[in-house]
Amino acid sequence: MSKLSFRARALDAARPLPVYRRAELPQLTDCGFISRAVPQMPSGMDKDEELEHHLQRAMSAQQVFRERKENMVIPVPEAESNSTYYDRLYKGQVKVPKQLIHVQPLSLDLEQPDYDMDSEDETLLNRLNRKMDMKPLQFEIMVDRLEKASTHQEVSLAEAKRLLNEDDYLLKSVYDYWLRKRRNRCLIFQVKQENRDGSTNHHAYVAFRRRTEKMTTRKNRKNDEASYEKMLRLRREFSRTVTILEMIKKREKSKRELLHLTLEVVEKRYQLSDFNGDVLKTVALPLEEKAVYCAPVNVNNSSRHKTNVKAKMQKNQVSMREELTFDPTRPKNRCTKWERLFPPQRFPGRLPRAESIYRADVNQYDFHSSGEDEGNSTMVAQTPPTSDDENYPDGVFIFRRTDGCLYLSPRWDGGHVDIQPLHERHFLTKLSLSPDWMGLSRRRTGRGGRILLDRASCSLDSLLNQLDTYPGSWTRSRTVYPNEPVDLDQKLLMNSSSIPSLSQALKNIQTLRRCCFRPRPIQNQRITDSRTAGPSVEDRRFLDTPGSAGGITEEQYYSHQQQLMKMKKQQLEQLQYNEAMSRATAPLDHQRNQSHRSPESTSRTLDSVSAHFAASAVVSTSPSAQDALRPPKTTGVPNCPGASRSSYSTSSSVSGVGLLSIPKQQSQVGAVYPTHHHNIRPSAPPPSALKLATLAAKVIPVSGLPRDIDEPDRQLNGLSENTQPMEVT
Amino acid sequence: MTKMADNSASVEIVEGCRLPVLRKNQENEDEWPLAEILSVKEVSARKLYYVHYIDFNKRLDEWVTSDRLDMKKLQFPKKEAKTPTKNGLPGSRPSSPEREVKRKVEPVPLAPQVSPVTPVPSLPSSAEASQAAVYPAARETSTFKSREDHEQLTSLTTQNGTARRLIPSQPGRKRKANCGGTDEDSQDSSDGIPSAPRMTGSLVSDRSHDDIVTRMKNIECIELGRHRLKPWYFSPYPQELTALPILYLCEFCLKYLKSLKCLQRHLTKCNLRHPPGNEIYRKGTISFFEIDGRKNKTYSQNLCLIAKCFLDHKTLYYDTDPFLFYVMTEYDPKGFHIVGYFSKEKESTEDYNVACILTLPPYQRRGYGKLLIEFSYELSKVEGKTGTPEKPLSDLGLLSYRSYWSQTILEILMGLKPDNGERPQITINEISEITSVKKEDVISTLQYLNLINYYKGQYILTLSEDIVDGHERAMHKRHLRIDPKCLHFTPKDWSKRGKW
Repeated sequence: MSKLSFRARALDAARPLPVYRRAELPQLTDCGFISRAVPQMPSGMDKDEELEHHLQRAMSAQQVFRERKENMVIPVPEAESNSTYYDRLYKGQVKVPKQLIHVQPLSLDLEQPDYDMDSEDETLLNRLNRKMDMKPLQFEIMVDRLEKASTHQEVSLAEAKRLLNEDDYLLKSVYDYWLRKRRNRCLIFQVKQENRDGSTNHHAYVAFRRRTEKMTTRKNRKNDEASYEKMLRLRREFSRTVTILEMIKKREKSKRELLHLTLEVVEKRYQLSDFNGDVLKTVALPLEEKAVYCAPVNVNNSSRHKTNVKAKMQKNQVSMREELTFDPTRPKNRCTKWERLFPPQRFPGRLPRAESIYRADVNQYDFHSSGEDEGNSTMVAQTPPTSDDENYPDGVFIFRRTDGCLYLSPRWDGGHVDIQPLHERHFLTKLSLSPDWMGLSRRRTGRGGRILLDRASCSLDSLLNQLDTYPGSWTRSRTVYPNEPVDLDQKLLMNSSSIPSLSQALKNIQTLRRCCFRPRPIQNQRITDSRTAGPSVEDRRFLDTPGSAGGITEEQYYSHQQQLMKMKKQQLEQLQYNEAMSRATAPLDHQRNQSHRSPESTSRTLDSVSAHFAASAVVSTSPSAQDALRPPKTTGVPNCPGASRSSYSTSSSVSGVGLLSIPKQQSQVGAVYPTHHHNIRPSAPPPSALKLATLAAKVIPVSGLPRDIDEPDRQLNGLSENTQPMEVT
Repeated sequence: MTKMADNSASVEIVEGCRLPVLRKNQENEDEWPLAEILSVKEVSARKLYYVHYIDFNKRLDEWVTSDRLDMKKLQFPKKEAKTPTKNGLPGSRPSSPEREVKRKVEPVPLAPQVSPVTPVPSLPSSAEASQAAVYPAARETSTFKSREDHEQLTSLTTQNGTARRLIPSQPGRKRKANCGGTDEDSQDSSDGIPSAPRMTGSLVSDRSHDDIVTRMKNIECIELGRHRLKPWYFSPYPQELTALPILYLCEFCLKYLKSLKCLQRHLTKCNLRHPPGNEIYRKGTISFFEIDGRKNKTYSQNLCLIAKCFLDHKTLYYDTDPFLFYVMTEYDPKGFHIVGYFSKEKESTEDYNVACILTLPPYQRRGYGKLLIEFSYELSKVEGKTGTPEKPLSDLGLLSYRSYWSQTILEILMGLKPDNGERPQITINEISEITSVKKEDVISTLQYLNLINYYKGQYILTLSEDIVDGHERAMHKRHLRIDPKCLHFTPKDWSKRGKW
C-alpha cells in the first residue's frame, strides 16, 4: 500500500533502463506495478474519437491477444474491386525501367485539353462527322478553349471565332452546342476557388486556398523580416546602380562625341592643310569664349548638368569618391528642405549682383560636345531643382547664373594654375547690410547651420576700405548694431527704422547671434611676430561681453592668446618649413594638406594670427582685385584661373590652432569652426598640430567654463562630415 | 405545416434528434446503437435520414430509411438557453446538395419543445412513425443543444411562427477545446468570428467552420483503377460531381471525371503510368514517389481530394505548397498503382515527419500502412531527426502507429545482448536515436506495452512472455519491410529556400 503513496521519480530519458525478462524477476509481481510512475502520455487522438467503441474494442483486443483478431478490427465501409473493364480502360503495358523514375519538371505540362468528352458530346460529334471529319481531341480542344475563355459569362460567338481557328460551320455548331450544354455552369469541373473578398472563408467546398502570408512559424518570421529588409536594400542599391550606369552611359556617349569631333577637326584640318595648327589656334579661342557666354547653365536646376559635371570631374582625375558616394535617393527631400528654408533669392551669403564665373562652367567645355551643350542650354530653365548635396554642399548657396549678368572669362595669370580648392578660396565680398563691409571672404557653414563668412586680409584691403560705405566697421573690433535687421529680406523689404517693436525685439535677439570677425590687416612681410592685440580682438562675438562670457575678460583672453602665440611661433615656423619641404613631392589632390604658395605669397610669410584664427579669418592674398565674388564651390576642380591664391599654412595645423585659440566661444558662438566642410576628408592632423592643440588647451585658463580637451578631436571629426545642416540664425 | 393545423402535428425527425438505429455489426448481428440524425432528405417520396452512430466513427455514418429508426426512443435536441446565434452562414447548415435548393424555400419544421429535458415518450411505432402527431404546435423561439457537446444547433423562429432554419452555431470552439494538446487556439479568436486556421500542418485545428456539410459524406462511390471505394468522409470535390453515383478517377493522375466515357477520353490523353514525381525507393514491386506540393499542384490536390475521403481530420483549407507527398505504389504491368501515401511538411516546427498518412481501403490490413510508417521513419533517419506524426491521430492511425512503435521498440529490446555478463540496458534517448521515433512516442509505447516497472529504486524494462510471443508472431506475419539500401533520398534544407 505504501508503495503507491510515494511518488516515483520521473522517467529520465537519458538514464539507462536495464532490460529484464519477466521470468527473471519472479518477485516483481509481489512488488506490483507502480502504475503512475510515469505520467500518462496522450494518445494523440481526438478525445471524442478515442472513446469510440470499435477503437476501444480493438485496443483491448490488442492488449489481450497481442495480435490482431480478425473480428476485432475497426470496421470500415466496404470497398469492392471491379476489374471487368479495367483492362479495356487502361490499355497497354508498362515496363519497369531499370533506373528509378525521374520526372523532368517540364515534361508534366503537356498541352492537353482539360476537357474530356462525354457521351453526349460523342453524339454530337458523330452527327457532325457525317458532314465533316472531326477528331474527339479537336472537339475537346475547342470546348476547352471556350471554357477557359469564359469566366462568369460565356464568350460570344465573335470571340469564339477569334479564339478558335476553325471552319465556320463547325465553329457555329460546336459553339451552339457548348452554349446549350453549359447553361452557366462550367463544364470543366474544378474545386471551388476562394473568393477574394473572403466570403468563402468557411465554405465547405472551397479548398486549397492560397496562403496569404508566409508560414508563420516563429523561426521563419524573423528570417522573413530580415530578408524583406535585404530586398529593400537590394532594390535601393540596384536603383543606385542604374543611376550610375546611366551616368556612365552619358559620359561614354560624350566621350564618343568628343572623339568624333576631334576626328572631324583633324579631318577638316587635313583638308585645310593646317599642319602647323595655325588655323586651329585662330579658331579655338573664340570658340571657347563663345561657349562660356552662350551656354549659361543653371547649376542648381539642371540635374543633367550635374551629371555632366561629375563625368567631367572624373575625367579630370578628381577623386572617384564623389561619384561613388552619390546617393540618388537622398537629394529630393533634402532639396525641398533647402528650398523651403532658403528660397533661392533669399540666402544672405550670396550677393545679388556679383559677377563670377563658375569654375565648373568653364570646365564643362573641356571638350566640346555640341549636342550636350545644346541639351544643357535647353534644360536650364525648366528642369526641377534637384540638389545633390554631395556634390553641391552649398545647397542653396550654390552658384546660379542670373539673367542679364555678364560672366567674364577667367583671368589667366600667365599660365599659372591655381590649384587652391575652391572652398578655401576667398572672394571679394560685399556685405550689403550693416556692417557694410567689402573684402575678401569665403563662406562656410558652421555648426548648427550658421553661415559664417571668413574674412581675409589682402593687399587691397586699404583700397577696399575706402570703397566701404561704412568706414567705421573696418577698424572696429566689435560692433553692435542695434537696429540691424537679421534677415536680409527684411532689410530689403522694410526700412530699418520703421520696424515694429516686436520684430525689433526679435531682431535684437537675433542680432546678438551675428558675429563679425575682422581679418587682421595684412602685415608687412616677415613680421609675423609683431602682432598687436588689436586684430585678434576682433575675433570675438558681439555678444561676448566680459559679463556674459563667464568671467573672462577680453584682456585676459588676448594676453593668453599672445602667450600662446609666442609659444607656438617656433613650432609654426618649424611646421611651415616641413610643409615647404614636402610640398614639392605632394600630389595635387592632396593640396588640402599642403600649402601652395604663389610666387607672390611666398614672399610674405604667413601671419600666425591668421593661422590662429583660421576658423574665422584665414589669411588669403588675392593678387587680383577683379576676382569675382562667389560662394565657395566644392567641385574640387583643380584649375581655377580666377581663383585667388592664398597663402595657407597647412590646414591641419591651422585647424588645430584655430580651434583652440577660440576657446569656449565655440559653445556659444557655435559658428567659428574651421569646418572645411567639403568632401575632402582631412587626414589626421599632423602630430605637431595636435601637440600644439593640447598645449594650447593647457595654457589657456578658462575660469568658469570647463575646457573640453576633446574638442579638437570632435571638431576634426566634424570636418569629415560632408554635409551639415544649414540654418540662418 | 398543414398537420399543425389540426393540432396533431406528426413527429418530425429533424436534425439533432437521437434515436436508436438498426445496423449490422461485423458478426452480421442486429444492433440498435444510438444515433443522431444529421440530415433528412426525400428521395422518390421516401424519407432518408443521415445518421451518425454515437460513439462510432463517422465513417460508419449512413443514409437509412425510416424503418431502421426506433421511433419509440426518439430524443429531441435539447434546448440550450443561451446560445447566441453567430455567423449563421447560409452554407453551413445541414443539407445534402440535392436538397439545397429546396430548403431555401421550405422551412424546416422544428421540433416542438414542451419540456426540453423530459425524455420523449414512446410513440406508436410503425414504419411511418415519423408521421405520428404527438406534440402540439407550440412553437416558439427555441434553441437546441445536441447532447453531443460539439454540435450546437440553434434555430430562429420568426414572429409568425415559421422556423427559418437550423443553424449550427460555432460548434468549433467547444470541440476544439476537447482536442488533443497539439491544437492551438491562438488563431481562433473568441469574438465568434471564425478565422482562418493556422497555416502549418495538414490536420484540422480549427473547427469553427466545421459545419454539418463537412460532417456528412458527399461522394457515393469512387472508382479508382480496379477498385471501387466507398468514401468515409466529406471531400470537397466539385459540388457538381457529388450527386453522381460514381465518381471516376484516373488511376495515375487522380483526375476526377464524371463518367466512364470521360475517363476513357481522359486516358487517351493522360500517359502517366506512375505518380508524377521522382521515384526515390524501389524494392520488388513497391516504389515510393516524391511529389512536391508546389511544383505539382494538380496531382497534389487530386491526391488530397481522394485522401480526404478517408481522413476525417485532414484539412484542405490551404494549398499544398508546403508539403511533400510520398506516394507508395505497387507495380504491375499496367503501371505503378497507388497503394497509399503520406504527406510531410517541408519544414516542420514541431518535429512532424508525417502530416497525413493513408492506405487506400483496398490495400488496408495488409501491412502497407506499417510500410508507409516505416518509410517515413527511414526518411527521418536520413535527415538525422526524430519525428512524430501530426496530431490528431485517427483511430486507425493510432493503432497502426502503436503497432509500428511496439514492434520497432521490441525489436530493439529483444535484440539487446548481455554485455559481458552485464544486464543489457538502454536509454529512451538511445531508442529514439536508433529508430527516429520521437522520445514521447517511445515512452508512450513503453507505457502502453506496460514495459516500464519500478524495481529496486530504479526503472526497468520488463519483457513479459506474452509480449515476447505476441511480438514474435507479429513479426512473423510482417513480410513487407522497407529496405534502407533501396532508398535514394537526399533531404533538402527547405529553410534555406525562399519558399517551399
